[in-house]
Parts: sequence; C-alpha cells; structure tokens
Amino acid sequence: MTSSAPLLEMRGIGKRFVGVTALEGVSLSLQAGEVLALMGENGAGKSTLMKVLGGLHQPDSGEIRVAGQPVVLDSVARAQELGIALIHQELMLAPNLDIAANLFLGREQGPQARHSRLARYLGPLPQRRLREQSQRLLERVGLRLPASTPVARLTPGQMQLCEIAKALGQNARILIMDEPTSSLTAGESEQLFRIIAQLKAEQIGIIYISHRMDEVLALADRITVLRDARHVGDLTREQASHDQIVSLMVGRQLSGQYFPARAAPPERELGLEIEDLWVPGAPCAVSFRAYRGQILGFAGLVGSGRTELMQAIFGATRPLSGSMRLGGAPFRADSPREAIRRGVFLAPEDRKRQGLVLPMTVAENTSLPDIASYARLGWLDRRRERSVAEQEMKRLNTKASSPAQRVVNLSGGNQQKVVLGKWLAMSPRVLILDEPTRGIDVGAKAEIYRHVAALADSGVCVLMVSSDMEEILGMSDRVVVMHERRLVGVLEREELSQHRLAHLMTGGAPLEAAG
Amino acid sequence: MRREAGMSVALVALCLLLWLSNPDFLGSSNLVNLLRQLSMLGIFSIGMGFVIISGGIDLSIGSVIGLTGVLIAKVSSPNAPGLGYPLWVGILVGLGAALLVGLLQGLLITRLRLQPFIVTLGGMLLLRGVSQTIVEGGTLSLGGSPLLRLANGGVLAVDGDPLLPYPLLLFAGVALLASYVLHFTVFGRYLFALGGSREAAEYSGISVRTVETSSYVISAGLGGVAGVCYAAYIGQMSQQVGIAYEMYAIAAAVLGGCSLRGGEGTILGIVIGSAMMRVIDNGINMFQLPYVDADGVPRTWRLDPNWTFVIIGAVILLAVVLDQVFHLLHARRRLHNSSRKEGSRTAGALQGPLSKPKPES
Repeated sequence: MTSSAPLLEMRGIGKRFVGVTALEGVSLSLQAGEVLALMGENGAGKSTLMKVLGGLHQPDSGEIRVAGQPVVLDSVARAQELGIALIHQELMLAPNLDIAANLFLGREQGPQARHSRLARYLGPLPQRRLREQSQRLLERVGLRLPASTPVARLTPGQMQLCEIAKALGQNARILIMDEPTSSLTAGESEQLFRIIAQLKAEQIGIIYISHRMDEVLALADRITVLRDARHVGDLTREQASHDQIVSLMVGRQLSGQYFPARAAPPERELGLEIEDLWVPGAPCAVSFRAYRGQILGFAGLVGSGRTELMQAIFGATRPLSGSMRLGGAPFRADSPREAIRRGVFLAPEDRKRQGLVLPMTVAENTSLPDIASYARLGWLDRRRERSVAEQEMKRLNTKASSPAQRVVNLSGGNQQKVVLGKWLAMSPRVLILDEPTRGIDVGAKAEIYRHVAALADSGVCVLMVSSDMEEILGMSDRVVVMHERRLVGVLEREELSQHRLAHLMTGGAPLEAAG
Repeated sequence: MRREAGMSVALVALCLLLWLSNPDFLGSSNLVNLLRQLSMLGIFSIGMGFVIISGGIDLSIGSVIGLTGVLIAKVSSPNAPGLGYPLWVGILVGLGAALLVGLLQGLLITRLRLQPFIVTLGGMLLLRGVSQTIVEGGTLSLGGSPLLRLANGGVLAVDGDPLLPYPLLLFAGVALLASYVLHFTVFGRYLFALGGSREAAEYSGISVRTVETSSYVISAGLGGVAGVCYAAYIGQMSQQVGIAYEMYAIAAAVLGGCSLRGGEGTILGIVIGSAMMRVIDNGINMFQLPYVDADGVPRTWRLDPNWTFVIIGAVILLAVVLDQVFHLLHARRRLHNSSRKEGSRTAGALQGPLSKPKPES
C-alpha cells in the first residue's frame, strides 16, 4: 500500500503495572493487506501491547492512530467499533451456546440499532437472521458446520476458525492473532494460513503473534521484535532469517549449539519396557523399550495417541491390557500415586492444570507429590520445604522472587521449571515430558534442554513427547513415531531425519533408503 | 431438552400412580391446593433460575419471601400491631424492599467482586433477623384483609373451589414472561453467555455487571411476588415463613435441568421441576394402598410423613445421578466417534500447500 496513512499506527506506547514496566516507547505500524508478525520472548510485552489494542488496557503514554485518525481505545466495544478484533490464545467462546450465538454475542441487534439499553436487552432476538449471517461467515472461513452446532462440540481448530469468523462479522479491518496455531492440527493450520492469505487479499491487516519461526517466516510481510518491554527491531521478510530474529529476541547471538551435546551412553541398560500395552481408544497395543541414560522421543501429530500412552504409563488412565517392566521388575501403575512411588514421573502437557496448582507457591508445588516426607507426626516442616524448593530453583535457574511466590505469577518457562523441579527433588527413574517447551520462550527452552540432557546423562530414562520437529531431532537418542494411535516406527539416532519422521508421522510406510 | 422430557414423563407417571392409589389426589380441593402451592414455589424458583443460569446462587430468596410478607402484614394489617394503611401501600413497600435487597446484593457481588454464596448467605441471615424484629418474635395477622382473597379466590369456580386460583394465573404470567426474556431476548442470551463463560461475555463487549446485577434483582423481585402470595395464603405472618425455601427453589431448578455451573436451564424445566417437588410432597400425604390385615379387616396403608425429606432428597439425587450417567454414556460415545474421525482427518494433513513438512500441535 502506498496510501498516505497506515491502517494502524502505535507510537511511543508506554504502560506500567505496579512495579513492572510492561511497555516502554513501543511503536509499530500496520498497512492494509499486510501480515505483521510480532515476536518476542514471553514477558517481552506482546500480550500487553495487544491488550492495549483490544481496549482491555489503557496505555499510560503514546498515541494510537487508526487510518490516520488519533483514537482512544477505552473499551472492548470501542476497539470493535474501530474494526480491531483480538483473537485470544485462550479461545473466548461460550461453550454452552451455539456457533451463531457466539459469532454475534454482544452485537445481536446489528450495528445500526442504537436504542436505549433496556430496549436493546428486551427486544426479541433475531434468531433466524443471526443463523443466516453466521452461516455465511462460516463459509468464508471454510468451516462446514451448521451455525446451530454447540461450541462445546468443536475441536480447538474449529473454535479458532469461529473466532476468526466472529471478527469478520464485526467487519474487523485489523485482526490480531495470538499464537493461533498452538492448538491446531497440521491440517487446521494449513487452512488457517489459506484464510490469512485470503484476508490479506481483502485488505485486512493482520498482527500475528507466534513462537513458531517457520510459520512467521512463511507468513509475515514484516516482523517487529520486542524485548524487555521495548521495541528492538523491524525486519522485512527479505531481511529476516531464523538466526537474526532469535538474536534480536534474546539480545545475543545464540550459539549454533542450541541443543546440548550428548554423550552416547556406553552400554544400553533397560529402563522401561512396555509390552503390548493397549490404551483405551487405541486400535491396537504398543510395545517399546526405553533405556536408562537415553532420551526417547515421541513424534507424531496431535491426536496420534502419545499423550494418552504417557497417561497410561503414569497410571492416570488404566490400560485395557499389557504389561510393563521397570528396570527388569514388573511395574503396574493403577494410579499416579503408584507410579510416583516407583519413581515414574510425568510433566504433563497441560502444565497449568495438571502440572501445577496455580494459586500455590513454588515451595508448596515442589513438595506436593512427596508431601508425606516433609511431615513429622503430621506437622509440615516448612523450613525444609523452602530449602528444597530453593535448591531446585537454583539448579534450574528459575526466576521467581522467592519460594513463597505463587506460581500463577510466573512466566510459562519458569512454571515449567517448577514442574521439573518438583520431580528432580524426588530423584526420578523415569521422567516423562509431554510437550516440555510448548509456549515457552527461546531462552528458557535452551535451559530446559540443558537440564533434560544432564538428567539423561545422569542415568535417568527420559520419555519426551514433542510436536516440535527440531526438538525431537535435536534432543532424542531414539524416536518412537506414532500415527493414529499406533506405533508406526522406532528410529535410532543414526536413522533420524526430518524427512523420515514426517513420512512416518503422516502414515507413510517405513522408508528403507534414507530420504 | 433431555432433562425436561424425562422429568415430564416422570411427573405424569407419578400423578397417574397417585391418582390410581387415591382418586382424591385429583379431587378439586386437593388439586386446587396443590396448584396454589406449586404456583408459589414456581414463581420464586424461576427467580432462582435466572441467577443459577447466570452462574450465581441466591440463598436469600427464602428470607426475601418472609420479609415481603411481614412488611405487608405490618404496614396494612387492620389488626392491632399492624399500621392499617391501604393494602396497595403494603404491597408496594414489600415489593420495593425485595427489589432493593436484590439490587444491593447484586451490586455487592458485581462491584466489589464478592462471592454470591457469601453475599446471599449474609442476606439470608440478616433479612431473617429483620423480619424477626418487625414481628417482635410473634405473629402479625392479616385477618380481614382483602389480600386473603388473592390466595383463596380465582376464576371458574367449581363446587365453591376456584379451578384457576389467582396464584396459578400469576405463575402462568410470570412463566410466560420469563420464557420470553430468557429464551427470546438479547438479555436472556447474555445471561446464558455469562453463565457459560464470563470471559467470553466480557470480551464480547457485554456489560456483564449490569446483566449479573439484574439477575439478582429479578430473583429477589420474584421472591417478593411469591412473598405476597404466601402472605395471602397463610394469613398470619411470623418470622418462620420462607425458611429453607431457597433450598426448594435450588432443588426445583436443578431437577428441571439447570446446572449449578451456570449457562444451562430452561423456564419449562424449572416449571416441571417445581411441579415435581410439590407433587412429591403432596403425594406423600395422598398415597395409600388398601390391604387386608391378619384378622381379615380391610385397612389402608399410608406413608409415614416423617419420610418426606428422605424421599425428596432421594429423588433429587436420583435425578442428578441418572442425568450424569446419560451424560457420561453420551460423552463416551462421542469421544469414540470423534477419535475415529480425528485419525482419518489428520492423515495426509502435512501435504498442505504452504510449508515444508512440519508437525503441529
């Protein structure tokens, strides 16, 4: 676009919360028909900036212009009026209502209706019109479902498309997407990318927040990078490269050695043996062996049954049949409690719900699985609890003000470190990591990789589920590949390649010659 | 609608059973009395339903019923401690107090972000105490007041008993109006959205505080309307009137398909739930089985009324247990189907146009 004013311009935006500077002099601009990627580590200020745009936070300083006009975004409704739509990472849909109700929630009477609130509230709901309009919007985003489908029945990918349809229904000209692919399958992501291309053609400006470098490099026309509440760089697609973005984000050149070097263990010693384990919902049983001192990666698409398999090993669900051996001895976990007793630990995929008790402190979370050992005659030894937590914080370089800080206030990376810390404090024999770095920024990722590698080198048997191909390739000693809840291949380190993994994960027959 | 359909069938079957065991169940005097009681319960259960659907709870509704009745008796009773003002003044004062209580509770909940359970628990105790101070521990008689005709009168008199007592007409009006508001207006949609996901409602630009406050005003207001009816029905107001009624309202709403998680329920369901509660209660008195005892003397067996609470409690538990069992079976079937579909859908997903092979999460 060569027209005079950009679609959106933010200049010198500053925002302070109690004791924290969330944004300082941040500027960005967005043209119509452009995809601007906004990147930065967690806590760099991306979310705050977007909440300012969505009318959820008011900036302390700076100026916002929409199509050249200065505006004040003091409410969600005002931002919507100006054509700004925010698609949240946690999808904001009411699960008990149908799609049509959600798409027009808050705007049932249409934009032209300007009655008093009472008349608006008690006027009849134009059900049929909303259904019809919703159906058209669903077509636009390629969602082939009746508008009367309850939202509770949708997959995360379909919900994402609904959110986009909702924004389109508001005649949004500026669309903000916060990690839109974080819960989508590959097919759903592809569809999202097609829709983004189509929206660009309709002259809609898109701000795209993502941690996924390949997506950003493929989609973005320009990239704006934030670091520590400040704007640190703008790159065009031609200028941008993976290394350059990462170095802007972390403020230093990451050494090429992103993944820690691993010493091949001299001898294979059996850790966990899985024999014909049949997980509920799977079409057949799986068998594999995991060795001490090794990281066994689990590659596969979302829904390939990896998480369910890990939950069965950890005793969170009960397998239909099969047997397990731990260090040669029979192992059977009917409950997580039993698995933990035997030294088999799980750092779950859903960290905030299954991994941590968010309102509790770092120390309380750390001691939770082993709480009995902290008690003498039922009396909790808080001092020991604190010192153990401190020790783990130091080992993992967890950034929390003290063991008494509540984990709800920590960033994703530090929360994951607390999860790891609580298991490290109990000396694991088998540690299962399910998507250990999802939604975690680059710096914390590298640290977590280092600790996991060190753990394996110390003789722990590590099982790592990951949907991040680089992570699987960079960390695993061997890789189990799953597809549609079946085990479709086990690759040794020498055999690993991106091509082979992708081939197996998508249901291809095992390749004999390396691709 | 699954719950409504199931409860309707159960209700009809229960009525049939009671009528077969004791034809007096559908006799005019029992029927009219049952309808009157059912209507009064239904009116404030609908109020409770509004709050429950929006994701809250109103424990004060029983005390609001009591307070409204006591205020009416105090202001317009022609007898001794009553002030003897015209009836409409008393009703206005009673209903006004109810609405004010709802508004204040709503504001405390939405503006100060207090938990509805605690606010309305405080309201319940406090208002009960206020009623007690007004009646000074005794009773206020409404004898001779024209209000009594509200409960006893009606239209279509049969054998001296009105076939359609006024409370039933009032209940029908309230139910129709509430159905319109809850199921056919923008405001109703907002109540459901608020109960389903407060954040989604807020982020859609809905004024959630106004909507939530309104639900408490509606609840207390309908509590007030029910209070007027109870005052007319009982004719003697003491501080005991309305005690534990909030629990009956919650039970009626839940029996009728409301979820205490919010966002679920229908007016029809609440009406059926209220009817169920009253029919069970009435049925315990009416149910009888003729039998012949050891000496060959014909006798009738009746339920011991001491079992009332046991039976009502068991019915509520049975209803939610059955509902949950159906729900789990349904969910399992859906999971099964969707996992099969998921598998075929993700196969080949990576051959998209845009990127090199890469996994997604």
